[in-house]
Formats: sequence, C-alpha cells, structure tokens
Amino acid sequence: MSADDGPGLYVESTIIMTTVRVVAPFVLTFALFIMFHGADTPGGGFQGGVIAGSVVMMLAFAYGIDSTRQWVDVRVVAALASGGVLVFAGIGLGAMALGGNFLQYNVYEPYYYEASKYGIELVELGIGGIVASVAIGLFFLIAAGFGHVTGEGER
Amino acid sequence: MSLTLLEGALLLFVLACALGTALLKDTLAAVIAFAAYSLGISIIWLVLQAPDVGLTEAAVGAGIMTILFLLALANTVTPEVDTLFESVRWRTVFFVGGFVLVMAATVPSLPAIGDPTAPVVGGEVTQYYLENAKKETQVKNAVTAVLAAYRGFDTLGEAVVVFSAGVVALSVLRREVFA
Repeated sequence: MSADDGPGLYVESTIIMTTVRVVAPFVLTFALFIMFHGADTPGGGFQGGVIAGSVVMMLAFAYGIDSTRQWVDVRVVAALASGGVLVFAGIGLGAMALGGNFLQYNVYEPYYYEASKYGIELVELGIGGIVASVAIGLFFLIAAGFGHVTGEGER
Repeated sequence: MSLTLLEGALLLFVLACALGTALLKDTLAAVIAFAAYSLGISIIWLVLQAPDVGLTEAAVGAGIMTILFLLALANTVTPEVDTLFESVRWRTVFFVGGFVLVMAATVPSLPAIGDPTAPVVGGEVTQYYLENAKKETQVKNAVTAVLAAYRGFDTLGEAVVVFSAGVVALSVLRREVFA
C-alpha cells in the first residue's frame, strides 16, 4: 500500500504542476540564500534546511509522492544527514587538532581568509543538510504508512 | 507599554487559533487551526523584531509540521465526529482561563518593542554579544554568532538531535532507507 493509492490524496492537476514547476527553483534559491547568507542576515542552517526540504514536498504535492520518492536518491538523503553531522563535528574536532578549543574557529585563521566567518557558514551548511534530509526522510516515511514491513518500494 | 492595534489583533488571533486547536473535535480542523496559530506566532516574532525565530516558526510550525500531521491523518483512520467541539469541564475552563488572564495581565508591563532601556538590552551578556560578536566571529548577524560560535557546542547537540530523530523514525518504522 502506498499513500498514492489512498482516495483523493493525490490529484493530478495541471495548475498545481505548472505552479510548482515555476515556483520550486525560486524556493530552492531562497532556501540556499537563507542557508549561505545566515551569517549576515536573518536565517541559517535550520531555517534554510527546512525550506529546502519543503521543495521536495512541493514536488511530491504536485507530481505524486511515489514518483517523487523514486526520483529522490536515498543515498543523497542519507549522505546529507550524516555528512552534515560529520562536517559540524569535523570542524569542531579539527580546531582541537590544531591546538585550539572545540569549535574555536580562529585557529583556522592562518590557513584561510576570514576563517571564523567561513567556518560558521560551513557549520550552517552542515545543519542545513541534516535538517533538509531529515525533513524529507520523515515526509516519505510517514507518507509510506505505518504498521507493516514492506519490501517493495524500497531500494 | 500600550498595545498597538496590530499587536492586539495578533494576540487575539493566536489565542483564538490556540482555542480552536484545543477544542475542535475534528482532527483535520484542529491541524489547520494549529497551522494558523503557528503563522500568527511567526508574525508576532517578526513584530518583536526576531526574524530568525519567525522564519523558523513559519517554516517548521506552519509548514513542515502541518504537512507531516496531514500525512499522518491521511494514513490513519479518522473517527466520525458528531459535535463540532470537545466537551470541556467547567473546572478546566476556570483554571486554564485563570492562567491565561494572569499571563495577559503581564502584557501591559512589558517594555515597548525596541526600547533601549529594556532590561534585556542593558544586560551585561547582551551588550557583550552586541559589541564583540562582529569582531570575534566575523559575522554580522549576532544571532548566528551566538548560535554557531559562542554556543556552538549546544548547536551541535541540536543538530544531532534532529539527526537522531531521523534515525529513530527509521528504527521505529523498521525501515532501512529514508525514501
């Protein structure tokens, strides 16, 4: 059983599909802006990640959850989630390896221009990856239904 | 502080939505009332000049949470409802209403929005962040500076909590992949 079989959960609509096709790139750009620019303007990894995740939900809303599920590569989702944690922790531990404290960004200063700023940006990107992929993952998990172990539909 | 029309209207809207979420018997209606509540709260954050929190509330509370609730509803059996509202005991109304009144009584004594003499602005910690955040962390947004630099370890914990939520959902639903 999948969510798409449910009566009335997915309605194929030209209006929704066209709207999502036009709006989705802008929403994704906005999400990346919020994530990348979080150091200087409101926003950051948590907010940008959720907005990026909502792009996939928009696509699922327009084109059906199952077709979106097949289009999204699960390896990318898993890599974003664990990669985000690794990036964040790696930056923290890297500072310790260079003789500083955990997450002491300025020990990277000799190696990179404005290291604190770009270290923080990188951490925000890591957070964004975690939040976006977990949001997408929870969406697909809940959409797939509960209480039964299935082999089909999984890759 | 005197409430402006916008602030008063927002407070009333949020209260009404919260009441709707708690009292509406139809789950779908309650979820929609909850989304409206989150949207109202996020606008309140904007009015209070906290755009970082407002963004989060709008994206998570009004956006993702609503979608996840709706999906969960679509995948579960919704019982038929005969009445519009839950029945509530008068004792509950008395205590919750009293609590809301007490909280509302504190609203007029809050400092005006953006008041430079407000206690939190004059606080030693706030002043330290405002004066040193740009110099020490090279980022202009003091919220990000606190989040990722001064309180970086806490934020790592938060990020890991989100990550764990994904892992736990996978384990509980006995699946091996997200999609």
